[in-house]
Amino acid sequence: MARRKNARVRRVAQRRKDVLHGQGRHHRSHDFRCAGCRLDVSLSAPGTAHRNHCPNCLVSLHVDRRVPGDRDADCHGRMVALSVSVRPDGEWMIVHECLSCGELSVNRIAGDDNALALMRLALRPLRDPGVPGAAHEALLTL
Amino acid sequence: MPITSIDTFLCVWCGLTVHAHPADGPRRNHCPSCLHSRHVVDHVDGGPSECAARMTPISIAVLRNGDWRVIHRCVRCDELTSSPVAEDDNRLILMRMAVRPLAQPPFPLEAFGEL
Ligand SMILES: [Zn+2]
Ligand SMILES: [Zn+2]
Ligand SMILES: [Zn+2]
Ligand SMILES: [Zn+2]
Repeated sequence: MARRKNARVRRVAQRRKDVLHGQGRHHRSHDFRCAGCRLDVSLSAPGTAHRNHCPNCLVSLHVDRRVPGDRDADCHGRMVALSVSVRPDGEWMIVHECLSCGELSVNRIAGDDNALALMRLALRPLRDPGVPGAAHEALLTL
Repeated sequence: MPITSIDTFLCVWCGLTVHAHPADGPRRNHCPSCLHSRHVVDHVDGGPSECAARMTPISIAVLRNGDWRVIHRCVRCDELTSSPVAEDDNRLILMRMAVRPLAQPPFPLEAFGEL
């Protein structure tokens, strides 16, 4: 009897992880399940105060409205990595775009983000040049 | 001489007079010479923005159909927008932006020899 009860409690506790950043304003979970690849992710990430995207597939959720961290958006759409931006100090940032409403956001990368996924993102303009001959020109400027 | 009208605007960064409606292609909202733009639309409310500050180009995004867009960030309020690359946009600046991440990778590129 007691065993079955414990198993049930554990299952309920796991289901809470389904939404990135927890389900409610007051829900404080240390983990989330990625909306893109279903990976269970810990919110603490090397190199950042707090993780806002999946380290495996880089997907995030649209939860902020005007200011990063305000958790004020009603959208909750899936935000996919759109491109890489480089800050003046050289740090890579990921530009995310919401698939539901088109909103853009810029986020720091974490120390354990998938290097291959980041690299693919950074190479997109060179693989798919918007203008003919662009890839060749781009390499010449390196 | 008054430069701004419905069809032209003055670039807030380099001062170029920009024709907002090129013969072929969509309306321009960034300068073809320096790729800077201006924060005139509010993304949350959709209407005009009172910010009016300069927006600096920070990244190149590639759409599924292969078209390029420039991502802009407002220097005053950090608002982000994107706008399509035009035929006569400054190629050198576009290319520099496109390769910038590869010049400063956060990990050794040797690990990706197979790419
Ligand atoms: Zn994921
Ligand atoms: Zn959204
Ligand atoms: Zn200009
Ligand atoms: Zn602004």
